[in-house]
Amino acid sequence: MRRVNLLAWFVFMLGMIYFFLPLFSTFEFSLRMKKGVYSFEAYRVAFQDPGFYYNFGSSLLWAALTILCSILLVVPTAYWVHWRLPKARPIVEFVTLMPFVIPAVVLTFGLIRLYGGPPLILTATPIPLIAGYVVLSLPYMYRSVDAGLRAIDIRTLTEAALSLGAGWGTIITQVILPNIRVAILSGVFLTFAIVMGEYVFASLLGWPAFAYYLEEIGAMRAYTPQALSLVSFGITWSMMMLIQWIGRGTRGAEQVAAAH
Amino acid sequence: MAFLEIRNLSKYFGKTVAVKDFSLEIEKGELVSLLGPSGCGKTTTLRVVAGFEVPSEGQVIIDGKDMTFTPPNQRPVGMVFQAYALFPNMTVAGNIGFGLKIAKKSKEEIEQRVREMLELIHMSGFENRYPHQLSGGQQQRVALARALALRPQVLLLDEPLSALDAKIRVALRAEIRSIQQELGITTVYVTHDQEEALSISDRVVVMNNGRIEQVGTPFQIYNFPQTEFVAQFVGTLNAVIAEVMDVKEGVLRFDGQQVYTADKLEGFRSGDRIMIAIRPERLSFANEGRKANILKGTVKNITFLGSIVRIQVKLGENIFFMDTFNNPYLALPRVGDLTEITCSKEAVLVLQRRS
Amino acid sequence: MESKSGVGVKTLQDTRQAEKGALEVRPSRAGSDWIAWLGLLPFFLFAVMFLFLPSLSIFVRSFQDRGGNFTFENIIALFTVKDIINAYRMSLTISLITAVGGGIFGFLLAYAVIMGGLPRVLRSFLLTFSGVASNFAGVPLAFAFVATMGNAGLVTRLIEQIFNINTREMGFSIYNIYGLSIVYMYFQFPLMVLIMAPALDGLRREWREACENLGGTEIHYWRYIALPILLPTILGAMILLFGNAFGAYATAYAFSGSFINLVTILIGAQIQGDVLYNPGLGNALALGMIVIMSLTMVGYVSLQRRASRWLR
Repeated sequence: MRRVNLLAWFVFMLGMIYFFLPLFSTFEFSLRMKKGVYSFEAYRVAFQDPGFYYNFGSSLLWAALTILCSILLVVPTAYWVHWRLPKARPIVEFVTLMPFVIPAVVLTFGLIRLYGGPPLILTATPIPLIAGYVVLSLPYMYRSVDAGLRAIDIRTLTEAALSLGAGWGTIITQVILPNIRVAILSGVFLTFAIVMGEYVFASLLGWPAFAYYLEEIGAMRAYTPQALSLVSFGITWSMMMLIQWIGRGTRGAEQVAAAH
Repeated sequence: MAFLEIRNLSKYFGKTVAVKDFSLEIEKGELVSLLGPSGCGKTTTLRVVAGFEVPSEGQVIIDGKDMTFTPPNQRPVGMVFQAYALFPNMTVAGNIGFGLKIAKKSKEEIEQRVREMLELIHMSGFENRYPHQLSGGQQQRVALARALALRPQVLLLDEPLSALDAKIRVALRAEIRSIQQELGITTVYVTHDQEEALSISDRVVVMNNGRIEQVGTPFQIYNFPQTEFVAQFVGTLNAVIAEVMDVKEGVLRFDGQQVYTADKLEGFRSGDRIMIAIRPERLSFANEGRKANILKGTVKNITFLGSIVRIQVKLGENIFFMDTFNNPYLALPRVGDLTEITCSKEAVLVLQRRS
Repeated sequence: MESKSGVGVKTLQDTRQAEKGALEVRPSRAGSDWIAWLGLLPFFLFAVMFLFLPSLSIFVRSFQDRGGNFTFENIIALFTVKDIINAYRMSLTISLITAVGGGIFGFLLAYAVIMGGLPRVLRSFLLTFSGVASNFAGVPLAFAFVATMGNAGLVTRLIEQIFNINTREMGFSIYNIYGLSIVYMYFQFPLMVLIMAPALDGLRREWREACENLGGTEIHYWRYIALPILLPTILGAMILLFGNAFGAYATAYAFSGSFINLVTILIGAQIQGDVLYNPGLGNALALGMIVIMSLTMVGYVSLQRRASRWLR
């Protein structure tokens, strides 16, 4: 390719320092729980706290529910848009982009105001929480699935399967799903990463969650929250690696945007 | 003296050989095509002439000046790329005038030249269009105008028509040729389409695996291919392995049938197995009374290709294509019929390869 | 030597044309059309319940007082109450700083790994890392920066030990808008990298070569071709970064508690009922955010449309 550019190296190194210094600092801090020596004490303590398991487990549960709902909502919709209603695509796309326009805090606010009182009281159930997560994951899930469907010419596949006498169950499970598995999985991992790190909905709607727990113990204790922060970074990272690994060879796997 | 000279050019990318010992002299005003399959080194050769690649060995000389190491932006060379190479953020006029703007020509001069170029490519009135508003053929014409606006001494075209529809391709190649002749500009044209190369060029260079297989006029290349590769690559061909029977008389034998060739068989001995080739259009049904070069076979298939009819005749193990001009009164055999086909001694080409 | 992306472009256009063709050939089934729309019912039902109705209720209640009567008071308060104006000013400032700063450095970073001739490994490393970092926000991020530049942070201590300077006494604090900006950059840079990388990849080699062939230098290439082509993408990305920072809540809350009064923090406080409890005002605050975010999205979409016309 082109000659190695010193400026490029400089910018890259600068970026790396900025990115890794906080991670390293956190790591260094988390090792200092015992006075005078570096130890993994903070990690031991963190993993001994039953609160960690309760909150982390809760987040896992929310993530699982969100992923389930998100798939059930997005996959049939995206498929239907491709197969029967291409003209609905702009509207559906617009809706999936709405979470970018309505910040999580604002949405939470709206949900609490709307479903916190009669006629429909939902705030006692986790429904607003899961719904909020699904909304948050909507752009990523829909884009992943949409890209997957776009890549395989869904119309021809469906028509071919129909002409060969396949029923709808067969078409969905034997033809469509296997072909967009990678797309769905990349949406799933993104959703997982988002829900595991999400703070706003859980804290404002008052449900246990990993990020909320982090914030709570952060106010009371030192060292363990830092240790857990690194753990959460590690979880996000491994999710992204999984996406890359699963999506290798397919385009657009790198397109992962921010969510808060 | 040649206007553009490429001397002993070799180019390696790591261990792969892209071009090996390529030498060519091109006269002023000549259009030479580099023809070959993808990966044969034709584009690399062109890019060396343009200055985008520095050769591993050899020289590029333009108008007597050694330009081997001259950077591309200082060469008197215009280039048309495969496709999509127009600057998308500039209008047609902006694209054509870009080189002049870089050269700091006056506004009036640029406008004047852009008008001339648009007339040349028959696209006057398109000044303010953007590339994405043009068809593929129009885009490539603008690209040609852009390359010519600076009055380069050499024009390079890198498969300029490969992304276009068949009909536009034919029309545009005629247009490129007529503009090239009108300006008398020395041109190197890279293509993998043999019909395109034959129809547009003064001379054709057939390349394979980084080497020159044959250089010649389209007539020579088509009618007298010197290697098996050229014969196979250019046009359709019936090729078979034959055994040399009589060197002096030019008698060959395959599938138990004898054929005579006008080609010289010097250097071969009786019993050698060599590859021979006959073009489909040189074959015809044998008339009564004809004795020499009669091949007996079975009709396997008949295909209408519009102006010609292609008949497949099975001769032992081999299937030969035979082309005849179509006409409504053509008496065609039926599939499965026994038939006799023939050709002249001159039509039997000996390809220089022993096997 | 065919460019890979060129092939991609062709097939994309081909499929698009094929799609269109298929649509035209298909006999119109006007009768079954609304049945087809029924298939999207669950999706739209969900969207109405959890996106549009909450937004609509925010809109309606922005014009209601405590008793539910119509009033403009809340909207007027947006422009008159000092705390609220300050919050908006703060939010806009930090969004602007991090959008421009993150945009510029993120662009340079993307340029460095994609066109700077760095090893390919670094490129995929940075892109994966960016995927992580752009999603790394909120509490853990705040902790990381406290451990780095906080009062007992690693960098703070190092500066103290090496240069014998107490940064706190020098008046440096990260618990202000600039400190928070530095923290925000941690997800802003990577987002910029993720948006710019494909755009930089979309710059065709032929453009650079055509420019060189016509006598242009590297500077000509950037000034007349690459930058103008990238500009809509760069600006669009910065708008997205702006919205990204504007809507952020968790990071700011975890980092500074309620010290820095961003709009999101005020809304959060409204929900938790901490201060100036007035639901109507909370609604108006939220409405203001929606309006600003909508404007940024309109800007983003229109720039995106321009960019995609060129970078196909």
